[in-house]
This record gives sequence, structure tokens and C-alpha cells, in this order.
Amino acid sequence: MKYVVRRILALIITMIMVSFLAFAAFHIISGDPARAILGMNATESQLKVLRQEMGLDKPFMVQYLNWLIGFFTGNLGISYSYRQPVSELIAPKLKVTLLMVLISFVIIIVCSVPLGLRAAQKSRGRLEWLRTTIIQLCMAVPAFFLSILVSYVFGIIFKFFTPGDFPKIEKDLAGAVKYLFFAAVCIAIPRIAMAVRMLKSTLIEEMEKDYVRTAISRGNDRTEVLKKHVLKNSLVPTITFLGQTMAEIVGGSIVVEQVFGIPGMGRFLVASISNRDYPVVEALVVILAFWVILSGTLADLINQKIDPRLKLGGRA
Amino acid sequence: MLEVRDLHVKFHNRDREAVAGVSFKLNDGEILGLVGESGSGKSVTAMSIAGLLPRKKCSYQGEVLVDGEDMLHAKRALLRKVQGNKIGVVFQEPMSAMDPLMKVGRQVEEVLAIHTDLSAEERKKRAIQALTDVELPDPEAVYDKYPHELSGGMLQRSMIAAAIVSRPSLLLLDEPTTALDVTIQAQILKLLKKLNRKHKISMLFISHNLNVVRKLCSRVIVMQRGVIVEDGLTYNVFFKPQHPYTQHLIECIPARVKLIARRSMEEENASVDGDQAAGEAGKAETAVSSRQAGNTVKAGGEHYD
Ligand SMILES: Nc1ncnc2c1ncn2[C@@H]1O[C@H](COP(=O)(O)OP(=O)(O)O)[C@@H](O)[C@H]1O
Ligand SMILES: [Mg+2]
Repeated sequence: MKYVVRRILALIITMIMVSFLAFAAFHIISGDPARAILGMNATESQLKVLRQEMGLDKPFMVQYLNWLIGFFTGNLGISYSYRQPVSELIAPKLKVTLLMVLISFVIIIVCSVPLGLRAAQKSRGRLEWLRTTIIQLCMAVPAFFLSILVSYVFGIIFKFFTPGDFPKIEKDLAGAVKYLFFAAVCIAIPRIAMAVRMLKSTLIEEMEKDYVRTAISRGNDRTEVLKKHVLKNSLVPTITFLGQTMAEIVGGSIVVEQVFGIPGMGRFLVASISNRDYPVVEALVVILAFWVILSGTLADLINQKIDPRLKLGGRA
Repeated sequence: MLEVRDLHVKFHNRDREAVAGVSFKLNDGEILGLVGESGSGKSVTAMSIAGLLPRKKCSYQGEVLVDGEDMLHAKRALLRKVQGNKIGVVFQEPMSAMDPLMKVGRQVEEVLAIHTDLSAEERKKRAIQALTDVELPDPEAVYDKYPHELSGGMLQRSMIAAAIVSRPSLLLLDEPTTALDVTIQAQILKLLKKLNRKHKISMLFISHNLNVVRKLCSRVIVMQRGVIVEDGLTYNVFFKPQHPYTQHLIECIPARVKLIARRSMEEENASVDGDQAAGEAGKAETAVSSRQAGNTVKAGGEHYD
């Protein structure tokens, strides 16, 4: 229990630090937001009024606190280019990306666990070179290339979905999920390859441990040893890896969204960066950072449940 | 009970045979010592008996008869019926020999889950009985502990409990006390002797240390470079060694220790020694610090090193 509290406290502190850094950085690079909103023709008095309205005349720390409170209450400021609340702009895109990332994550887990197990069992087989090559290939192929390939083959040739015509989630959930599935596969493939490789080496390493010999001396066969002992012991590095994956596939989704024409966070982020729409970029950057921190913490908390030694702070 | 006939084991990646023609017999209820410097083939011999040889990595010949059945060439399925059930094994490093993520109690009763139809409750009862048999203080608490929560001595006791819970007729002990400090070592030896008497378990006790072996075993085999160079009653091997290698091993023991050894072995022949000391010492051992306990409890005033 104490460990959980400690870990969540650390999470909050990290989030505050990250948000502060992001706020400070955007404070410096964004120049004068009032000018950015009103344009070059605005008079000095107009600017002054707006600055007061936005709280820009207050001290830096006060501005930061206001922004932080706003962030957690859903008030992320006003977009420069759309003149709309950032939260309203982001929410639907966040939903799309989140859905895609979750689908991708499920695909990764469902595929890599059994494949990793088989890879470990067959690691001394004759076709090992072939398996290694396939894994290397899947790891090396860039996501944008996969996306082009998949949307061409499954979208244009087989017509499983219409590239560029993303159905609205509210209207056609099944259609949207189907569309996202193909994009999610593109995000998942390199990650599956990495997970399989990692799982395989972890399992093989575990199988060499002394406790495996003990288990066999008690009359277990290798499958039983795997199920009863080795799997659980391999879980901690696997969950850590999956936590990282959870964080990184959001980054991977940016490119894939571009190619598939999915109106998600990634595409919006890229557009906002080129428009210098700092409130939007700032909000997205902080959301992404929180996502990364959250994934790591979640993995740590799960691991701590699996391995009681981690509670002692040994390998947290 | 156990008979090894002309056992040869050669690992593919080695030039020399790890075991080069070893034959010996272990009688019912006997504790047989197996000594030799490290690399002499003791563990490989024990692994051959327990059916734990990595069969793909080596070639092997000869016979290992356990109650008349050959273990060396037995099919895996048959092997599994014997492993844990008829043969228990205790390894050198109790910490790494245990699954770090499984509670000690579950590991102790694992053999029962594999070989018997006992219910979970009955298994737990037997496991706690075994933990009591190895003189662990508060066996119920130990049952629910993870390995990292116990000291080395307590872990090794738990490993012994796990090995005897199914009442095997043969216990293979591969340097079970080498990783422990001297006082705990003495306690474990006394415990083994007691278990041998109480449950009539035959034991093959492996050590690189002749002085440890002589305390426990009535008969000793000395191995060097994969072959047996001496085989006889402990007293004879200790005081009238025939082979130069055995003589060398004995020369390495300090004179003071030899004197104590002679006295205690002569006493042993005359009287049955009381084992109460070991019991008391076992209780003094705590999870917090086995070492502290080791400093305050002197088991019989003797040193085993
Ligand atoms: N798995 C293995 N692969 C290759 N060689 C091994 C293996 N296990 C043991 N050996 C070799 O067999 C010989 C005997 O080893 P072992 O029986 O472990 O000695 P010890 O008497 O110290 O227990 C050593 O030379 C060792 O290097
Ligand atoms: Mg050895």
C-alpha cells in the first residue's frame, strides 16, 4: 500500500515538473499571445485589454498556476487559428487516437505473447534463421511504408475500407473501428517483432535459471515449468516493455494517421505546429507527456503486484 | 537402493569425460559421502542419478539403478514419476534454487501437487508438517513467506522440507551447506542426521570438504577427475587414506580440527549423541538475521570448515 502511495506521489510530482517545463518553454517561444490572436494591425490599447483578459499581465508563476488549474479543469485556453477553446478542438481527435492506440495495443499483446512463447520453445529449431530474419525485417520496416502498403492492399485492392474516408465514430462505430484496425496493425507490426524478440530472450534466460532445475527435479515437465514458474518470472520485464510500448505507439500513430488520413491527435499536432498554434501544441505536448508518465507508472504498479521484491525498492 | 554401474558422462563441448567410469552402491538408510575438489564430477554424478543431465549436450553410458530401475536411459515420462517422488534433491544455493515469485509453502508442496491427488488443504498440512520436521521456527509463517524474506539457513531448511515432503527413499544433497556460514552449516548437518534416523531416508551427501562429510557420513567416496580414487568407511578414509589424493585432501585440514574430529568420531562409535543442541539452534535462527544468530549460538562448539 505504501508503495502505491509513493509511486502515485512520484507520478504527480513528475507531471507537475513536466508541465512546468512545457509551460515555461512555450512562454518563451510563443512571444506575445495577444498579438498572435489579434494580428499585426491591432492597436496597443486593444492588445492591453486582451492581455488583461488573458491574465498575461500577471507574474509568471501566477500564470502557470492558472494554466495548470485550467488544464485539470478542461480549460486549455483558446486556439489562435480556430478561435475556439482548445479542449473542444482536441476532444474528438483524442478519442480517435486513443481508440486506435488501444486497438493497436490489444493486437500487440494478443500476437506477441503466443509468438514469443513459440519462438522461445523453437529457438534451437532448424528454421531459426528464417524466424530471426522475419523479426528483423518487421522491426526494420518503417511505419509509413507499412501504412502505404496496407492502405493500398487492403484499402484499394481488397476494399476493406476506403482510404481517406474515415467514418465518424459517433455515427458508425463499427466502420471506424474497422478503419482504425488497419492503421493499428501498421503501428503494431514493428512493436510485435520487438516484443517477440524480447519475450523470447527473457524466456530463454529464465529457462536457464537454477529454480527451473529444481522444478524439474520435482517431476515437472518443461511445459509445466514454463506455466508454473517461468512465465510469471518473465512477466516483469515484459510488462515494463509493454508500458514503454503503450507510450511509444502514440508517437508512432502520428505518421500512420497522416498516411491513412485519420483525423486524430497526431495529424492535429502536426498541423498546429506548422500554424504556430501554441495553446494547442502546448496542450497536446503535455497530454502526450502525461500519457508516457502514466504508462510507466502503471507498468511499475502492476510489476510490484507480481514481484513482491520490488516493494523493497530494489528494481523499481 | 541405489547402484551406479560404470557411469560415463562426457559433455560434447569438453575434451575430458566429466565422469569416467564411476561405480558405487548406496544401501538403504545409509548416508554416503561424496568428496572431491570442484570440477571432479560430483554434481554430474548426482545429476545423472536425479535424471537431470542435459541429455542433448552430452553422451552417457553405464547404469544408474534406483530400486532396480535404470534412471540414466529412462524415458522422460518414467523419469518424472521418480523425480521428486522417490528421489529428492537439495542444491547448493537455496536462494537461486527457489522460484523467487512463489511462496515457500507452495514450493514445498509442489511435489505433492504433481505426484498425489491430495486436496489443497491436505497438501498444506503435509507441507507445514515438513516445515516442522526441518525444525523451522513458526512453520505456518514460513509457509506464507517469499524466498527473499527468509535467511539462507531457513531457505535451505525449506528446500530440505520440499525434498522430503513426499517421503522419498533417496535424498541427493549437492553441497547443501557450502553457501551457508559455519554455524548454520552445523545445524543443517545435525538436522540431516536426524531426518535420516527418523524417516530412514538414504542420502548421498556431496561436498568438497572432507571434514564436513566425515561428521555426517558413515562411508565416503573420494572422486578426482571423474573417477573414484577411494571408497571406504569414513574413519578409515580419514585416518588411513590409501590414495595420494585423499592424503592431500586430509593434509589440508588443520591439525586442531583433525584432533577434534578424531575425538568426536571415537566418541560417536561409543555413544549415541544427543541432538537437542541442533533443535535449540534451529529456533534461534531468525528471518531478520541468520548471521546474528550464528554469532550467539555455538552448535556443539565445533567448526566445520
Ligand atoms: N552443462 C555442462 N556443460 C559442459 N561441461 C560441464 C557441464 N556441467 C559440468 N561440466 C563439466 O564437468 C566437469 C565436472 O563438473 P561437476 O560435476 O559440476 O564438478 P563438481 O565436482 O564440482 O560438482 C567439470 O569439468 C565441468 O566443467
Ligand atoms: Mg558441484
